[in-house]
Amino acid sequence: MGISTLDRRQFLCRAGVAGLAGMTLSEPALAAADEVGGYGVLVDTTECIGCRKCEFACSQSNKLTELPLEAFEDRSVFDQPRRMTADAYTVVNRYGDTAGAVKPTFVKAQCMHCLKPACASACLVGAIRPQANGAVTYDPWKCMGCRYCMVACPFQVPAYEYDHALTPKVSKCSFCFERVSQGGKAPACVDICPPMCLTFAKRSELLGLARAKIKAHPEQYLDHVYGEHELGGTSWLYLTSRPVTELGLMEFGEKPIPEYTEPLQHGIFKHGVPPMLLFGLLAVAMKMFDSKEDK
Amino acid sequence: MLNTSRLTIFTLLALVLCLPAFPEPAEGTPAAPQKTDVSNDCSPCHRTSNPSADDLLPAAKCRRSRTNENLDEATPEQPEVVIMDQLTDLYVPVVFPHKLHAGMEAIGSGCSACHHHGEEGKIVTCRTCHEKTNDPGNLQRPGLKGAYHRQCLACHREWSHDTDCIFCHAKRGAIAGAESKGNADPTDITGKLHPNVAVPDKTVYPTPEQEAGSMVTFHHKDHVELFGKHCADCHQKENCSRCHDSAGPQKHVRQDSHEDCVKCHDTSDNCAKCHKDHETGTFDHNKSTVFELKDFHKQLACTKCHKEGKFALGKKNCKDCHEANWFPSKDFDHTKTGLVFSEAHKDNECEACHPNGLGEAPDCSACHDDRKYPKDQPGERTSTAPETPSDEKAPVETK
Amino acid sequence: MSEHAQPVSLRRGLMTPGVLILSCIALAGLAAAAYRFVFGLGAATNLTNQYPWGLWIGVDVASGVALAAGGFTSAAVAHIFHRHKYEVLVRPALLTAMLGYTFAVIGLMADLGRYYNIWHPLWPTMWQGNSVLFEVAMCVTVYLNVLYIEFMPIVCERFIGHVNLPGPLKSLNRPIDALLRLVHGTLAKIMFLFIVAGVVLSCMHQSSLGSLLLIVPYKMSPLWYTPIMPLLFLLSAFAAGFAMVVFESLLASWTFRRKPEIVVLSSYSRFVALFVGVYGVARLSDLMIREAWGGAFAGDGTSFMFLAEIGFGIVLPFALLLSAKGRRSPAVLLIASALVVGGVLLNRINVFLVAFKPPYAQTPYFPSVPEILVTVGLVATLVLAYRVCVTLFPVLPVEEHETLGEAKTAKKRRPAQAGSHA
Repeated sequence: MGISTLDRRQFLCRAGVAGLAGMTLSEPALAAADEVGGYGVLVDTTECIGCRKCEFACSQSNKLTELPLEAFEDRSVFDQPRRMTADAYTVVNRYGDTAGAVKPTFVKAQCMHCLKPACASACLVGAIRPQANGAVTYDPWKCMGCRYCMVACPFQVPAYEYDHALTPKVSKCSFCFERVSQGGKAPACVDICPPMCLTFAKRSELLGLARAKIKAHPEQYLDHVYGEHELGGTSWLYLTSRPVTELGLMEFGEKPIPEYTEPLQHGIFKHGVPPMLLFGLLAVAMKMFDSKEDK
Repeated sequence: MLNTSRLTIFTLLALVLCLPAFPEPAEGTPAAPQKTDVSNDCSPCHRTSNPSADDLLPAAKCRRSRTNENLDEATPEQPEVVIMDQLTDLYVPVVFPHKLHAGMEAIGSGCSACHHHGEEGKIVTCRTCHEKTNDPGNLQRPGLKGAYHRQCLACHREWSHDTDCIFCHAKRGAIAGAESKGNADPTDITGKLHPNVAVPDKTVYPTPEQEAGSMVTFHHKDHVELFGKHCADCHQKENCSRCHDSAGPQKHVRQDSHEDCVKCHDTSDNCAKCHKDHETGTFDHNKSTVFELKDFHKQLACTKCHKEGKFALGKKNCKDCHEANWFPSKDFDHTKTGLVFSEAHKDNECEACHPNGLGEAPDCSACHDDRKYPKDQPGERTSTAPETPSDEKAPVETK
Repeated sequence: MSEHAQPVSLRRGLMTPGVLILSCIALAGLAAAAYRFVFGLGAATNLTNQYPWGLWIGVDVASGVALAAGGFTSAAVAHIFHRHKYEVLVRPALLTAMLGYTFAVIGLMADLGRYYNIWHPLWPTMWQGNSVLFEVAMCVTVYLNVLYIEFMPIVCERFIGHVNLPGPLKSLNRPIDALLRLVHGTLAKIMFLFIVAGVVLSCMHQSSLGSLLLIVPYKMSPLWYTPIMPLLFLLSAFAAGFAMVVFESLLASWTFRRKPEIVVLSSYSRFVALFVGVYGVARLSDLMIREAWGGAFAGDGTSFMFLAEIGFGIVLPFALLLSAKGRRSPAVLLIASALVVGGVLLNRINVFLVAFKPPYAQTPYFPSVPEILVTVGLVATLVLAYRVCVTLFPVLPVEEHETLGEAKTAKKRRPAQAGSHA
């Protein structure tokens, strides 16, 4: 062995500096919405009539388009399934019954505002963050436009302003963060919904409401609150009369998406120790092979 | 809760639906049934108070229950229309034709279908319970806007599939009535405000298990147009959407297959009367009865002769209109009565056998001491025409 | 230290037909890039909300980084494990890595919606340590600088004693020369730090590139999605790194009409075989364990891409490299290394583009013409830059028995300056 104890210490010190530069911070998982304190919305798809007023209110409230009310009265859009776009944080889709039964089901889609959001875990500059009130918000000024959040989102929610050459933004429902922050004012879509099939309240209360509805009308609802456990839970919850896969929603396990990457990241790069160990190991190897050769 | 109410609402609004944004109704708008004849007030649904096959509205396949006036009597204070103006920002208030909906109560399950959760026998308005916004303390009770919409749409979306806002609301800023159906005549509920209902002319029910015949031909059109049956006579406890949902199967499911028929027909025996091995033709007064309708009788309303739904008529009924000494012309073809005279009787004068009048039973005693009608007959009965004009309960004719 | 094959600058004419063609392609790419920056991503690319990542991420960045792995693998072998016979391969590999990473970042700039914010991950208030991409960004940034530092001695070598600024700047010649000597001297003492750091950083981000898509468990074909994606990415990066050096060396020999370093390369290619083998075993046993064979023989495009990747990218080159005879044949070596490089390239394309099956996608993604032009243009520019660098700087080794003459004039014997060797 060619290095003394002192050498090694110095060496490790240097190694530490170099290792720090590249190590991943292992800060605790982002503060997700408190499961009790956060707000949510319960979407009762059995009551939705597909009037698209939520789309209109969202567009107005978020200044997404200049489209007049009439533009949202066009029901021919239901002929094709739609997804959120840069100009639409929410869309309603119609899902006819495959069995040819009585009536179609309308399902509003928007950001689910996960309690453990994949997009926030993915965002490398912290532009997307889960807030304590349940919203998952986006800060365009931090964003560098890598679109990893769009890749990561299991619900395929975020859209991108591809047509903006200079300042494109990720566009997704903000849960009307400003409104909700003002003493729990409901989001614009919830406010306008004519049949009030959107209920805005604390998530914990909504779960109670959903359970009560299912119990009172087992013939109307499937005994499943979509979003209660899916991927660690979402702030937006859905009650349906049909299996969610028939309604343009995907089935998910309970494991939050960030847990697919974060434990590994934090494990491999825990406090920068493993990289520094590797560094030390290689440096020692380097010295050893060198001294071997010298002999 | 909402859902039980939904089921009852289906039942309530069985026949007619009309929830356009009516203009402010004037005093005494025709929507209020003018009670002229308790048993035959058809004015809410028909243009005439006494509809006949001639005078039916062309699209009037269904009519309101004849008993709706009971509701008027029971609840004289009920509003003609309700103007829902509590929540209006994008659209003008909805004028809800309350009475029109309430008029269908008879075939549904009463006021409580909509006025749910109220104290027994007491009617409360929606806004009594439903606040303008969701009640944070009771999330299960939707706000007023939700209550209105859910109540209306529970039925409306079922059958019309039309959930366009302007179906009920006129848009704010739009010229009044230009887009909505607000200028429509509230009494004209068919064809325009109410979508046409596909009513079958006939329905053939297979009855393979029946020995007498493998099928029953039910002439729906005849029952409605000729025999004056109202929808609610047979269609009771209906689920509106069963008929009204154009996407759904149109079925009228009975507990007992004879359930509706026995109200008029005796089904206890004589199965072959209905159960045949072939489809039967529509009702023809000239063929199916002994009484051929000629120029004059053809023009009469059925009820002119068949009063109070009575179809088995005797000759006496003619006297309601005809003078006592009236008799048919000499060229009356007696074979129409189902009796072909024997040679001996063929040339008799009418009065020879009918001394008491032509409408009366014949008397054989003028010539025969030992003969007596109807035991002895002056000829042969033909099979085509029954002795009595028709089956005891069978419905007959209009014109 | 072995004294053979000292690297020199290639003094050859730059304007060859090949260079002209590459320049045209590069210019087309530049035009496409200009189009993208003026009119935006929407106009230039076929990216959608369902396919937010396309050719530029899959090829320019992910594949670019993988194929630039030769820098750290050769440095590790030659310098850390002191296999000095491979030192001739270090400088070209280092240059490839430096250019590869530089162009990966340039390609990334084209893809970023807000490219001017590319520095954000470095700003401490915006650090988001849970993000795999953050780690990749940090590592790549630091490693890029490490690569520049590792290349510094080569620059110093080229200019020490030759600083010759024109006109009024003449007075600066001496200080610059002194500075270069100082840098060169200092770096020589601490270079081992950067070499080791380079290896560590590479291992980190090469594997993390594989972790990137761990976040889409519901969106990826099970043929590729596996929890050991980071390991597979690291192993395949090793394989690609070694193969790339072999491939590139043979290609350079052919281009510059020099005799291939067949002895060194055939020995070096054993590493290729080793890592392709290990990678292949890991890959296939992972599929076995997860029982994810399902889609492999489905007969659709995805299964075809999978089979092509395994067959041509792993099995075939491994078989070719197994025989010592094959390893001694430049042709076999060229084909085998090209297959490995192509296989890893295909793997990155498959993982980022083919295996990615987003829900609600109405049309599958296929790159647009500008996207392809930018990518091809970047590759062309990279080759050109390589050509310029080997002309300017002492990167390629001089043959012991130079027979093709032209380089002879440029031959300058210097004291041994491994440059990147402490």
